[in-house]
Amino acid sequence: MTDQAADSAASLQVFRYVAGDDTVRAVIGEIEADLPLEDLVAHARQALESERFMCYAVSQAGDFVADELCFVPQGERCEILTIRTNGWQRHHGDHRRSLVEILNNLAAAVACGKLRILDERELLQEARAGTQLVRFAIDDSASLATARDAVDLVLQESDIDDLTRQRTILCISEAVTNMLLHGGGQGSMTLRRLDDRLRVVVADEGPGMDFLNWIEPPTKKGQASMGYGFKIILDYLDAVGLRTGQTGTTLLLDRKTD
Amino acid sequence: MLRTTIAPGPAPTVFLAGEMDLDCADTLREAVAEAARDAHTVVLDFADVEFIDSSGTGIFVRLSLDMKSRGTPLAARNLSPAVKGVFDMLRVRELVGDDVFPDQSL
Repeated sequence: MTDQAADSAASLQVFRYVAGDDTVRAVIGEIEADLPLEDLVAHARQALESERFMCYAVSQAGDFVADELCFVPQGERCEILTIRTNGWQRHHGDHRRSLVEILNNLAAAVACGKLRILDERELLQEARAGTQLVRFAIDDSASLATARDAVDLVLQESDIDDLTRQRTILCISEAVTNMLLHGGGQGSMTLRRLDDRLRVVVADEGPGMDFLNWIEPPTKKGQASMGYGFKIILDYLDAVGLRTGQTGTTLLLDRKTD
Repeated sequence: MLRTTIAPGPAPTVFLAGEMDLDCADTLREAVAEAARDAHTVVLDFADVEFIDSSGTGIFVRLSLDMKSRGTPLAARNLSPAVKGVFDMLRVRELVGDDVFPDQSL
């Protein structure tokens, strides 16, 4: 393992198996040469047949790092989630437990239909659904209040109760904060009206979700992070779509309004 | 935006109003530092805090732990519903200690 690989961040990878296929494809990340494709297919088929969420620890030859793989059956397809550590623990202590917990939370959210992992095509389609209400740039912490106010204004006109509205605004604040702290510090927010919901699209062109940041915030401002932002988003919103990678992260944050 | 007003005295109170997010760190720290001069404790009054997120909470938690270690502990009182809901969810009491919430029953 090279030093470069050892310093690389802990990142999410998601593969997808579709019933009847004989391989998997990458939805987030890429298919690497050492990926045991046959094993992934076999486990994915097993998860689909049993309709059960399954997790395995996978030893990597030549390294002490063991990644965990979560297989989440979803009808005709199986989402396979993992967090690649690439030896990162060598330099940052044993945070494996924290990583596994994060991974399991994400996989559980996929399993219960709350979180959808999007490929590029799905993202383009979903991020253009409905009618655009407003779009603005996010570029500093003053944008937080602007973002919250914009969502509040739209939700005030719907029939949702005050607690749900307040929790939605909290989630928007968490998503924009994540962008400011971890997503390159700038991006955009777009509000879209769909038939039965408000969709808030929060997009940045940062380095993608790095789970090292979730455990050890790197900046002084990041020290304010409690690592709960994404959990709050998953707990409180009706549906979340996620695409993340080296060219940025996009979140689709849905609140049903009917 | 967070706004602060200080009521001086042996146990000075910093009245907080507005929003507590990533942006509130400097305002909160400066107000507490000013109130803490010659004081044994500083009371933070949250009655008029309309919004707080996990970053605002994290700033309060860190400041609370810092002040405790310096011997001028914070006491939080009059938590607005918005603050109480987020503090409960993030288990702030476990992080900073029950003594920071003297007017709340366990």
